[in-house]
Amino acid sequence: MGLFNFDLNNPQTSIEWMIYLTGKYLKMFLDGTWLTLYIAVLGTIFGFILGYIVGIVQDMKTGLGDNPVKKTLVRILKVIATAYVEVFRDTPMIVQAMIIYYGIRQLGVNMAPVFAGILVTLLNTGAYMAETVRGGIGSIDLGQREGAWAMGMSPMKTMIYIVLPQAFKNIIPEMANTFLTNLKMTSVLNVIAVQELFMAAKTVGGNYYKYFESYLVIAVIYFVLCFVFNKIFNFMEKKLKGKKDYALAVEYMDNQ
Amino acid sequence: MGATVISIKDLSKSFGKHEVLRKIDMEVKEGEIICIVGSSGSGKSTLLRCINKLEKQTSGNIFFRGKEVRDVQREVNEYRAKVGMVFQSFNLFNNMTVLQNCMLCTRKVLHLSKEEAFDRAIAHLKEVGMAPFINAKPDQLSGGQKQRVAIARALCMNPEVLLFDEPTSALDPEMVGEVLNVMKDLATTGLTMIIVTHEMAFARDVSTRTIFMDRGYVAEDAPPSELFSNPKNPRTREFLSRYLAG
Ligand SMILES: Nc1ncnc2c1ncn2[C@@H]1O[C@H](COP(=O)(O)OP(=O)(O)OP(=O)(O)O)[C@@H](O)[C@H]1O
Ligand SMILES: [Mg+2]
Repeated sequence: MGLFNFDLNNPQTSIEWMIYLTGKYLKMFLDGTWLTLYIAVLGTIFGFILGYIVGIVQDMKTGLGDNPVKKTLVRILKVIATAYVEVFRDTPMIVQAMIIYYGIRQLGVNMAPVFAGILVTLLNTGAYMAETVRGGIGSIDLGQREGAWAMGMSPMKTMIYIVLPQAFKNIIPEMANTFLTNLKMTSVLNVIAVQELFMAAKTVGGNYYKYFESYLVIAVIYFVLCFVFNKIFNFMEKKLKGKKDYALAVEYMDNQ
Repeated sequence: MGATVISIKDLSKSFGKHEVLRKIDMEVKEGEIICIVGSSGSGKSTLLRCINKLEKQTSGNIFFRGKEVRDVQREVNEYRAKVGMVFQSFNLFNNMTVLQNCMLCTRKVLHLSKEEAFDRAIAHLKEVGMAPFINAKPDQLSGGQKQRVAIARALCMNPEVLLFDEPTSALDPEMVGEVLNVMKDLATTGLTMIIVTHEMAFARDVSTRTIFMDRGYVAEDAPPSELFSNPKNPRTREFLSRYLAG
C-alpha cells in the first residue's frame, strides 16, 4: 500500500484516516469552518468598533469651559471604560465565555451559543483594541492636533480628520493580528457548545476514537485560514502605504 | 496704524511654580508687524501660545476686537479661526496632501464650498511658490517647502492676525531665506503679524515694532530703529551685543 494508493474505505495510516474523516464529515468540517469565520469576522469587526469607542473615551479630555455635568459624565465614562478593559484583559477568554453564557441564561434569557460566542469575542477584542487605539492616538505627535486647533478646528473634528486616520494607519498591523488571534481563539467557544471547528474535531474524533487525526484535520484548516488571511493583510498593508512619489502639478509651474 | 485687534491685559502664566509670563500688557493694532525677540526660555513661545489659546493663562485677559475671549470651546474656536498660527515644527497634517492641508479647515471651519476652498488654496500656494506641489505629502517636502505650505494653509483662513513661532528655526540655513522672503512679501500686504524670531536682521528690517522679552517680562517695546540702535534697557543691550557678536 503506497502513499498514492489509498484504500479510503479501509483507512490504515494517519493520512488515510485524515482523508477518510474529512470525506465522511465534510459538511461538519465545512460548517465548523464557516462558523469559525463567521464568529471571528463579526466578533472582530464589532470588537474594533467597540475598541475605538472605548479607546477614544479613555483618551477624552474635558475641554475648555465644559460644564460640571459634562465633566462628571466624562469621568464616569472613563471609569467604566477602564474597568471594562482591565477585567477583560486580566481574565481568560474561556472563563469569560462560561460566565457570560451561563450568566445570561441564569437571568432567564435564552441566548443562542453562536450569539454568545460573538459577544465574548467582541468584548475581548474591544478590550485589547481599546489599548491599541489609545496607544495609536498617543503616538500621534501633539503638533498634529495643535496645527488643527490653531485654525479653529474643534477637538472632535481634529480627532476625526487628523488623529484617527493617522492612528488607524499605525494600528492596521495590530488589527490584522487581532483578527488572526480571534480566528484561533474561537476554538475555546466549544465550551459553550458553539459548533465551530474545534467542536467538529471533537465530535468526529470521538466517533472513531481518532482524535489525533481529526485534530490534525482542523489544524490544517486553521493553518490555511491564517496563512491566507496573513497574506491578504500583508498585501493590503503594502497597498495602503501608497505611492512614494507625487505628480508635479505642471499647470502651476510658471507661476513660481 | 488702525484699530486695536488684540489686546492683552495683565497676562500671567505659570507652569507649576515656574512663572513663565509675568503681567504682560500688549496691544496689537491693525497692520502692525510685531517681532518678539529674547533669549531662550524668556517665554516668547508661551506668550504666542497663550495668544492662540493653546496654553491657558494663569491670570489676565485676552480681548479680540474689544470682546474678551473666554475659555469656552466654541468661542475659542471662532477666535482661532481669525488668529492663525505658524509653528516652528510646521505641523502640516501628515495624512493629507499639500492641497488637502490647505482645504481642510476652510471647508470644515469656514464651511466654504469645494470650489471656493480650492481657489483659495491655489491662490495662496501660488503666493508662496508651492502650487506645483499640491499632490505631495508633507514627508516628501523639504523643511522650507513645508513651512511655505504651512504659511499658505494659515493664509487660506483669511486671518486677521497671523502668529509665527520661530518659523525658520527648524530649517537648514540654506532654506531660511526662502521662508523669510515669503514673510517679507506678506509684510507688504498689510496683514497683521506677530513673529517670534531669532533673525535679528529680519526683525530690524521688517517689523514695525520690536518687543524684547526677558524672564517673562516685556522688557522693552519700541520701533526697531530705536530698539536695535539705541536700546534703553541694559538687558536689551546685553542681549543684542551677545547676538551681534555672533
Ligand atoms: N508645557 C510646559 N511645561 C512646563 N514648563 C514649560 C512648558 N512650556 C514651557 N515651559 C517653560 O517655560 C519657559 C519659557 O518657555 P518658552 O518656550 O516660552 O521660551 P522661549 O522664549 O520660546 O524660548 P526659545 O527661544 O528657546 O523657544 C521655559 O523655561 C520652559 O522650560
Ligand atoms: Mg520658543
